[in-house]
Amino acid sequence: MTHPARRRRRFAALAGLASAALLASGCSGGLLSGGDSSSGSGPIRLGMVAPMSGSSAAIGPYMRNGAQLAVDEINSKGGVNGRQLALKVEDGACDPKTATAAANKLVTDDIAISVGGYCSGATLPTLPLFNKADIPMLIPAANSNDLVDQHLPNVFLINGTGTQQADTAVAWMKKVGAKRVSLMDDNTSYSKNIADLTAQLLSQGTPTLAGRQSVTPGESDYSANVNAVISQHPDFVYWTGYYQEGGLIIRQLRQAGYTGDIMVADGSVDQKLIDIAGGSNADGVFATMTQTPQTIPGAKQWISDYKAKFGSEPGPYSTQAYDAVRVAAEAIKDAGSTDGTKVEKALEGIDGFQLFSGPLKFTPDHTLSEGGFQILVVDGGKFKLKDAMTQ
Amino acid sequence: MRATAGDTSQDGRPRRRLPGNRSLAGLGILVAVLAPFVDASDYALSVMTSALLFVMLAAGLNIVVGYCGLLDLGYAAFFAIGAYTSGILATRLHWPLLATVPVVIAAAVLAGIVIGGPTLRLRSDYLAIVTLGFGEIIRITATNLSITGGPSGIYGIPGLDVFGVDLSGPVGFYYACVAIVALAVLAAARLGRSRIGRAWRFVREDEDAAEAMGIHTYKVKLAAYIAGAIWGGLAGILFGAQLTAISPQSFTFLQSALILMAVVLGGMGSTPGIVVGAVFVSVLPELLRGAADYRFFLFGVLLIVVMIFRPQGVWPSRAAERLTGRGRSGTSEEPEGALQ
Amino acid sequence: MSQLLWNGLFVGSFYALVALGYSMVYGIIKLLNFAHGDIYMLGAFTGFAVLTLGGGLVSSLGFLALLVVLVVAMLATGVFGLVLEQVAYRPLRNAPRLSVLITAVGASFAIEYGMRLVAGPNPQVYPVRLGGQAVEVLGARLTLQQVGLVLIAVVLMAGLQWLVMGTSTGRAMRAISMDPKASLYMGINVNKVISRTFFLGSALAGAAGVMAGAYYGKIDFLMGFIIGLKAFTAAVIGGIGNIKGAMLGGLALGMLESFGTAWLGGQWRDVFAFGFLILFLTVRPTGILGERVTERV
Repeated sequence: MTHPARRRRRFAALAGLASAALLASGCSGGLLSGGDSSSGSGPIRLGMVAPMSGSSAAIGPYMRNGAQLAVDEINSKGGVNGRQLALKVEDGACDPKTATAAANKLVTDDIAISVGGYCSGATLPTLPLFNKADIPMLIPAANSNDLVDQHLPNVFLINGTGTQQADTAVAWMKKVGAKRVSLMDDNTSYSKNIADLTAQLLSQGTPTLAGRQSVTPGESDYSANVNAVISQHPDFVYWTGYYQEGGLIIRQLRQAGYTGDIMVADGSVDQKLIDIAGGSNADGVFATMTQTPQTIPGAKQWISDYKAKFGSEPGPYSTQAYDAVRVAAEAIKDAGSTDGTKVEKALEGIDGFQLFSGPLKFTPDHTLSEGGFQILVVDGGKFKLKDAMTQ
Repeated sequence: MRATAGDTSQDGRPRRRLPGNRSLAGLGILVAVLAPFVDASDYALSVMTSALLFVMLAAGLNIVVGYCGLLDLGYAAFFAIGAYTSGILATRLHWPLLATVPVVIAAAVLAGIVIGGPTLRLRSDYLAIVTLGFGEIIRITATNLSITGGPSGIYGIPGLDVFGVDLSGPVGFYYACVAIVALAVLAAARLGRSRIGRAWRFVREDEDAAEAMGIHTYKVKLAAYIAGAIWGGLAGILFGAQLTAISPQSFTFLQSALILMAVVLGGMGSTPGIVVGAVFVSVLPELLRGAADYRFFLFGVLLIVVMIFRPQGVWPSRAAERLTGRGRSGTSEEPEGALQ
Repeated sequence: MSQLLWNGLFVGSFYALVALGYSMVYGIIKLLNFAHGDIYMLGAFTGFAVLTLGGGLVSSLGFLALLVVLVVAMLATGVFGLVLEQVAYRPLRNAPRLSVLITAVGASFAIEYGMRLVAGPNPQVYPVRLGGQAVEVLGARLTLQQVGLVLIAVVLMAGLQWLVMGTSTGRAMRAISMDPKASLYMGINVNKVISRTFFLGSALAGAAGVMAGAYYGKIDFLMGFIIGLKAFTAAVIGGIGNIKGAMLGGLALGMLESFGTAWLGGQWRDVFAFGFLILFLTVRPTGILGERVTERV
């Protein structure tokens, strides 16, 4: 056998493989076939980029389930404008490259509106893609100010902003008479954003900022960080990261002999926080949180619907994803079409639509006019409403 | 490249020279050029563009690992330096991307010297951990500083614009990448066949003998390192232009490991090999999207299966094939690292 | 100060346990086993499964029951490590070294996301917790349980040291690490010894996983990734392939992290640790206990 022949055969195999791969990746036509995206019939497609793998893999299913619940509810009531809704979820893995590919896939799949977005860093590169394709985005989780700073017409945040959460947090610190506050974050954009904004507010008077500390998410031992925090002599510690690390930090703070107040941000409001902290460690821990079904009287039905459908409790951003779908449906109904620009107009016009966090109205920046943050407290192993903070 | 000029294959027959490689390169470029005629959706273009950038990264790392035999576990650092340098200049000082190229090259060379200078005398596994540490240091520093945009990174990076020709659209950018990456891959292959390329291979095969033959091994290794850094940095510019936004999550250890995987899976030191390897590693997770939760499980299993069936890589270089005949080079006579 | 030392020692003993397996495998077959951190994760989940199935019976017995669980998990992860070697690494014994690195990364993906399929992406909470009252010793707060865990780690490491230095298997392991070919000619069953090495290394990682689960309480499918990197670092600091070095390296890394956090803050900790490592290696290129040899690759 001669080498050239073998080489040529390998080559043919390679070329075949390459074209097979291309064909498999969703044929919507080559350069010469022209545009063929036809909308107007069939279900209205909603797209969601959420982390299903990687370090934030726990959150994606919560968001998907929340959105799916809303889709099913709306469909069982006849859909929107006589059309059913269909949800398409793609893994963004909190990685900009993966998220970009996912967003492009959704654009290619001809979605009418996007209801995803969790990690700010991975969501940022998807904004111009959806913008170019004239697809409105209702971002349920990511809340970095960078997302709205570009003033893109298609970007709407339906999660409370970091500013709103920091305001509520500091108001509560004042209310309980805290004097020295230590801030702990996990060095992700969500967490650091809240900590930065809180630190700004704290620099203006009492309570004062005792110090800050960043942890590396995904580890088990935070005793060195906890040690550093304790040496700042705080009487109030505010953790702005997620529940996985939050539970460990609460436990290790208590084990290290810290007796002051602890508060966590909305990413930590999950039953698992209390379980991980263990025993009575989490008792008395405060949380800044938008209204959740757990704290809204009469919303028990929503939780049991969720549990019946997915066999597990709702978690972080389940409600926001649920609301994102409902808002999307409302806007499409108001606009009477799935045309991106019309839907964006309709979204800007929404006034008083009831979300879990309160009545919805967008600011000119496309953020919530009311963050609706409240203070919860852990009491008897459950998060309960402590103070509605309505002033 | 597969054939080194003047080399002979195992059985002593003269090796086929460039024509084979040339037609190979031509075919590769043809496939890349024609691909959008099969599927030009935004998704396909974004996946293919990412694959091209991955090919470029693999070509750069191949210089370090494949040609020179230096294990680098932090290659994403150079990628990050390129992406951030050009991203900062483009967004804060509003430079066009093309103008950032010389600065990026300078930054990459500097980084290559800073990290390579004191560490290239280390044994390969120690070099591996040092490069890993360097990669982590760059990523964490980018996360902590405000000029790099902290954890959410930099956004609003402009698209590519070459002397007034706007190449920021997906199709235009894809073809720009085809041209640039093809050039980069061919240049890397050319470098591998040059005088310094032969020195690299010599150092890889037997450093002591190379030293004894009068090769300044330290300088030669540093040159490989710097060349790899430049390729990585230039790929970083394209990465920023493609995504319009960059953040530290793109430059994790996992990214470095994936690039290394592309090189080893394809066949170290073999240009067609690393192209195939990079396309495989970059496109496979996208093809497996349909597998949903099984995606990365299958990815892992497939990697093992491919390596078991092609231990030398999918498309190994002739040099590596020759080595197998002799058994695994070196490892059996390495006394260092003995259990104590 | 003494608190920092104690924290470093405690964290370091976990690193050391995992680093040992890394270093042993490297010493024998020169493989950087990137899936090793995931064996630690498997250990934690095995312990979790046993404790959950055992239910109330186990949790009432406390520390003693945990020792039983520890042994079960060590056996399970040991066997897993052995199988992993046969399936993913042995077929590549004669391939270039880096090829095995790829199957190791592949195995790491498969184990992590395989566990995600089995146990879901959410973190799990250990049913038995080692809390305990803290006592103050020389200005450092520590709990009896922490001391107990460090003691278990010390016993395991001492046992390994004895195995490697004092038994015929250990002698065979050392012989292979010096010269596999000659060992083969001397009548050593190389495959068997390599299997045993994987068993031992994986069992130690599994033990560390159970201990971490029981002490910290939270386990998830990616928990092995970071500690795998840390263990690799620790093994290199100590001088890779050197068992005592791995223990020392683990402790050194624990201390570096503890002091780095105190001096520079948590966000710069890893920069401090890796920066120190790079400087250290330029001064002492073979780690704390590694020997200076000329390289032949």
